[in-house]
Amino acid sequence: MNFVKDDKMIRIEDLVFEYGWDEEEAAAPVNAVDHVSLEVERGSFTAVIGRNGSGKSTLAKNINALLLPASGRVIVDGFDTLDDAALWEIRQRVGMVFQNPDNQLVSAVVEDDVAFGPENLGVAPDEIRERIRFSLTAVDMYAHRKMAPHLLSGGQKQRVAIAGVIAMKPEIIIFDEPTAMLDPEGRAEVMGIIERLHEENITVVLITHFMEETLNSDRIVIMDRGRIAMEGTPAEIFSRTAEIEALDLKLPFAVELTARLKERGIDIPAGLITERALSEHLLTLWKGNETSDLCPSE
Amino acid sequence: MSIRVENLTHIYNKGLAYETKAVDDVSFTVADGEFIGIIGHTGSGKSTLIQHLNGILKPESGSIFIGDAEITAKKIKMNEIRKRVGLVFQYPEYQLFEETVSKDIAFGPKNLGLSEEEIDERVREAMQMVGLDFATYAGRSPFELSGGQKRRVAIAGVIAMRPEVLILDEPTAGLDPKSHEDILNMVKSIRHRAGGIVILVSHNMGDVAEMADRVFVMDGGKLARVGTPAEVFADEAFLKRIGLGVPPAARMANDLAARGLASGRVILNIDEMTDFLADTLSGARESKS
Repeated sequence: MNFVKDDKMIRIEDLVFEYGWDEEEAAAPVNAVDHVSLEVERGSFTAVIGRNGSGKSTLAKNINALLLPASGRVIVDGFDTLDDAALWEIRQRVGMVFQNPDNQLVSAVVEDDVAFGPENLGVAPDEIRERIRFSLTAVDMYAHRKMAPHLLSGGQKQRVAIAGVIAMKPEIIIFDEPTAMLDPEGRAEVMGIIERLHEENITVVLITHFMEETLNSDRIVIMDRGRIAMEGTPAEIFSRTAEIEALDLKLPFAVELTARLKERGIDIPAGLITERALSEHLLTLWKGNETSDLCPSE
Repeated sequence: MSIRVENLTHIYNKGLAYETKAVDDVSFTVADGEFIGIIGHTGSGKSTLIQHLNGILKPESGSIFIGDAEITAKKIKMNEIRKRVGLVFQYPEYQLFEETVSKDIAFGPKNLGLSEEEIDERVREAMQMVGLDFATYAGRSPFELSGGQKRRVAIAGVIAMRPEVLILDEPTAGLDPKSHEDILNMVKSIRHRAGGIVILVSHNMGDVAEMADRVFVMDGGKLARVGTPAEVFADEAFLKRIGLGVPPAARMANDLAARGLASGRVILNIDEMTDFLADTLSGARESKS
């Protein structure tokens, strides 16, 4: 097994993944991932967006060696996914959370479900108990540890699935549309946990169709037809509105509203991509107007 | 054609320790041609309710009339219900199974015992309504299509039954923004062309506000609120308490209002938000000069 100490958490070098039958990417072109190079910093939060079939999930599955490159390389924390002997090291480092929580829970009791991964790693029973406590606490589900997963809400189930991944103590967690099936509260819960994991220096990769979920990321990567179409911070990406729309994506609400208000002659500086930031600015404008109304010029 | 639901109750696991009333004494009527949006958190009873409307589930008590037919009656034939009420499940593309798109869409009409010509006509009509070109797609395998296209095929299979009530359970879940928009436009055009009642179950508050004539809010198996989008989405505090929310425009308008910049009206979409802000902010500036 070759190990090269690497300052990048994930290093993808000219990755090509030729199309096989991957259920979720059935519409993907022949090269589902087509000469992609990407580096992911330790502890960073990367959001990956792009239309259905653009290669997002295929890219993600190449990171934890569920899929292997046809050419190019994927290096995770110094381990090459093509190195059979490194598979164990890679799977320990990369956890994945998928769209449908019902497909990820295997046990009849919440805490057994969380224990499933560590048990397979051969972790000692005392340590497993500690990991159950730690991971269920991290997702605010410790009080539900004796419950049956099927009695939980969608958001709660997804939190248990995340706890199962946290219990493996991964360095990287890849979330593949984790909120697609959730109600508004469930979405907020899961996004809150993703942001908390990021704060605790877990490297987060989030695949999503919801633009608002990308706004707190360090970097957005937009995939299109197997290639990286755009890359940058959320503020950079969402200032390129015409390109975003050409890629069939949507603008976050605040960005769209800014564009419309500018057309109506309201002065709004660039980079206010969250509703909160835009609200602050609008309130300042409004208060400025109010003050001048109250103090007419002499 | 109208829907009348009277005192509908459904109990899961009756007699067991974890017996739950999934639908609890629900009554409502839907008028012909109405578009109803149903919202509610996971487990609030939405799916259980709509599964009664096409006869998949039988209630503990209560009755459902579709037009003059009581579909909760003991002697009713399933085919009679299926002809009237079409239900598109979540992720319906997982239920595609035929080797070609046209065969898959023809499956339901075939089971109605229609003639070959009638089936062919319905398949063509349904494909046109969901925006799939017959010449291009009829002979293709549904499994080679994109996620959005597969979903259209599945919806066409339901439309080919020519139901008078079309129920869609989260039809846009998991789709990219463009396919999401396309499916919503498709639903609008189906409604426009076919008439009848459309019921949309969704976690997307913006979509419900945009599409529905009336919104049903489910909570704990009960119909907690019924009203126009403006009425229902006016109460953000209530909706948040039951795990829901309001469309983004309403959320921002409420936030601004709480901090002094109130519109004095319910804002549901970006057009209304733009008008309000442009008027307020440029109006003030003009009065200044």
